[in-house]
Amino acid sequence: MSPLLAICGLSVDAAGARGTPSTPILRDISFGMRPGETVGLLGASGSGKTSLALAVLGLLPPALRAHGAIHFDGHEMLSASRGARRTLRGRRVAMVFQEPLSALNPRMRIGAQVAEVALAHGEHNTQRAARTALDMLARAGLTDAEDQARRLPHELSGGERQRVLLAMAMLLAPALLIADEPTSSLDVTVQAQVLALLRAEQRQHGMALLLVSHDLSVIATTCERTLVLHDGRLVEDVPTRQLIVAPEHPQARALVAAVRRGPPPLEHGT
Amino acid sequence: MTTGAWHHLRNDAGARAAAAVLAAAAACAVLAPALAPYDPTIQPDPVALRLLAPSWQHPLGTDPFSRDVFSRMLHGARVSLGVAAGAMLLSVTLGTALGALAAVMGGWVDTAVASLVDVLIAMPRLLVVIALVATFGTLSPWWLVVLIGGSGWLTTARIVRAEFRDHLQREYVVAAVALGASRWRIIRRHLLPAVAPQIAITAALALAAVIPLEAALSFVGFGIQPPLPSWGNIILDGVDYLTSAWWMVVFPVGAVTITVGSALVLADRMRVAVGGEEHEP
Amino acid sequence: MARRLLRRFLHTAVICAVVATSVFVLMQFAPGDPFATALDGPDVPPSVRAEWRARYGLDLPPTERFVRWGIALARGQLGYAASRRQPVVDVVADALPRTLLLVGTALLLGFAAGVWIALLQTRHHRRWQDRVLGACTLVGVAVPEFLLALVAMTWLGARWHIFPVAGIGSLGDAAGWPLWERMIDLAWHLALPAGVLALAVASRVARHQRAALLGVMREDFIRTARAKGLGEWDVLRRHALPNAIGPVIALLGLALPSLVGGAVLVERIFGWPGMGQTLFDALLARDYPLVVAAVLVATLLAVVARTVTDAIANAVAPRRATGAM
Repeated sequence: MSPLLAICGLSVDAAGARGTPSTPILRDISFGMRPGETVGLLGASGSGKTSLALAVLGLLPPALRAHGAIHFDGHEMLSASRGARRTLRGRRVAMVFQEPLSALNPRMRIGAQVAEVALAHGEHNTQRAARTALDMLARAGLTDAEDQARRLPHELSGGERQRVLLAMAMLLAPALLIADEPTSSLDVTVQAQVLALLRAEQRQHGMALLLVSHDLSVIATTCERTLVLHDGRLVEDVPTRQLIVAPEHPQARALVAAVRRGPPPLEHGT
Repeated sequence: MTTGAWHHLRNDAGARAAAAVLAAAAACAVLAPALAPYDPTIQPDPVALRLLAPSWQHPLGTDPFSRDVFSRMLHGARVSLGVAAGAMLLSVTLGTALGALAAVMGGWVDTAVASLVDVLIAMPRLLVVIALVATFGTLSPWWLVVLIGGSGWLTTARIVRAEFRDHLQREYVVAAVALGASRWRIIRRHLLPAVAPQIAITAALALAAVIPLEAALSFVGFGIQPPLPSWGNIILDGVDYLTSAWWMVVFPVGAVTITVGSALVLADRMRVAVGGEEHEP
Repeated sequence: MARRLLRRFLHTAVICAVVATSVFVLMQFAPGDPFATALDGPDVPPSVRAEWRARYGLDLPPTERFVRWGIALARGQLGYAASRRQPVVDVVADALPRTLLLVGTALLLGFAAGVWIALLQTRHHRRWQDRVLGACTLVGVAVPEFLLALVAMTWLGARWHIFPVAGIGSLGDAAGWPLWERMIDLAWHLALPAGVLALAVASRVARHQRAALLGVMREDFIRTARAKGLGEWDVLRRHALPNAIGPVIALLGLALPSLVGGAVLVERIFGWPGMGQTLFDALLARDYPLVVAAVLVATLLAVVARTVTDAIANAVAPRRATGAM
């Protein structure tokens, strides 16, 4: 089967201010994902996980420069035109962000924020878009979706907000979903529900999932294969089972040992 | 942090250009008697030398009274910028003192100052000053400094009060209080240096507000009185000849715009240097 | 909100009292009175002078006059404008709508234009469009309105005859014109003074709005909007602007008094018969009841406008969860 996503020799640098040398964020990353595959991306804070995710969507901040190649769905993301990337985002590749409160527009109703995804990709009928959004919100497990859709983000709980973000990302059944620490700001029971929801959607639509986390226990319950990122380099690319049984890289060993000792404290931010 | 901001400012091309323009304007004002080729008030020949276009003898032309506009512009800079600088200093000093007093004393003093600012800030400054000047008849430049400066302390007071209150809650000040430092010492050694960049910004903004104010007052005839030149009353002298003698208006308008623009740019760049506003993510 | 309104109302009352009192006190120091030019000649017998002053209560001791005047003012009686031979109320009723028309038009046009300029600048952040527009708005803030008015009047009015130089309507035959023609005539006369003021407003709004937009563009939800596949204009208009416009409206409220000040001069230059023109005439004629009324009305205008902008800014302020998640 041809790969859905193929990253070859991807490097990302932060441009230095006025003549100072640039700082590398990601160094020579290469890996691939098949359609429908679930891959975990494991790494400590500051290892470059979020930059990798943003690079795939073409959403790196202007101060960061990417080199190499990212092939996705028949397009080369780094050299594609703005317009081409825009039509892929939200429709073929979607992303869930880690801090659901700040990731939602504080002045826009939930329903409108979800429906906007459909409207950005060829849907012209506002009412039909609102209908689709409502269905999706209900499927994402938001109780009383009709009522909730009229609310503003700050009127929802953290778990509900994360469901809204998921609904937004899954609305158009993308081929690849990137979830950046989707559960790290939630408490443990809600974490499990959100992960279950992700898996269910994935099975139903054959969607590939790249789950970014610093927490091996989250990845271990969800992913067949795990990549370990350390200091901007990909240090492991192995089946998750093998990583848990026999981690090779010292950093991978440290992360595995952390899980064996017990659940890590909830961590916010990358 | 202040050293960092200063370093940032010194390497900022925009800030350097703005500072250079202001310095040049100040130099013109100070050196006006030495630089001006003619006496700004003498009317050598109101018939033959009236409203001459710019030439080598009169780089900026002459006015309806045959006076050299270049010389009047230089001496006008002395008056206009002198009044502006004085008024700016007065308003910033007054504002800093009242803002600091309100923040440090708290209680009814704070309430009084805050309410006074709230009340006065709603009043159109230009209108108030015009009404005052018109009531008193014509005033000397010193009184103009007092009136313009005395009506401009509100913004500085607001900002200094807010900044002081913010710093008073920070740990280093709390620690100094706990160590038994006196109020005056805390203000002088800790608070004023910490708030100095903000005060500098309001000073630049105050300058940008005060220069047009003086020009407006003189332009309507209530400000600097002839024959003493100011940028505002040079415009007033030329306003009747706008279509034929453009140099009478264009040069003073340009001078006001460039100095005010430089002060605004300087305030902007200082804000960037201090607060990181408009920095790239 | 009710408490805020009450506070604002009390403030307004205090402002008016302070303004009125200080103007009255100043009047006592000021030389001359409305009859100085007309009656203080050698050919006027002292008895006539005294009779006229007595008729207007100018012979009473200052404290009594202050009390009487204060009571009258509190009742809304603004007095008699001797220089216009009209009650002050009538003069204000004539002039105020014209000033409101001028300032209101300038405010609406300027605000809309300023927001558009800021959107364009943010869209092309740090490219030539941003820099050119930034330079223009800097000049727009740096040039005092009255200078801009002079330049506009000279070239667009006196030189090229595109717009009328002064006044509020064509003289003479205009009264017989049909309504729509009179409206067009009014708009045509309004164009230059309102345009000049609007330029000043637009420059200020654009500078603040650009800074606010750039701040919001760094927020996470902007990234979410982009990840949805929204185009950059939609991100700006639908997500950034609603979250960035509140503080700018509030700032506009704070800048209103200076706008009113600028409007006074612009009115004078274009001969627009509004409150500014009235104030100048009153000052030159030493017609103090009219001066008091003009300054009071201008202050009230600024206060009311600020209350409105505050309320709007409050209504559109971004809502954030305050407590725990």
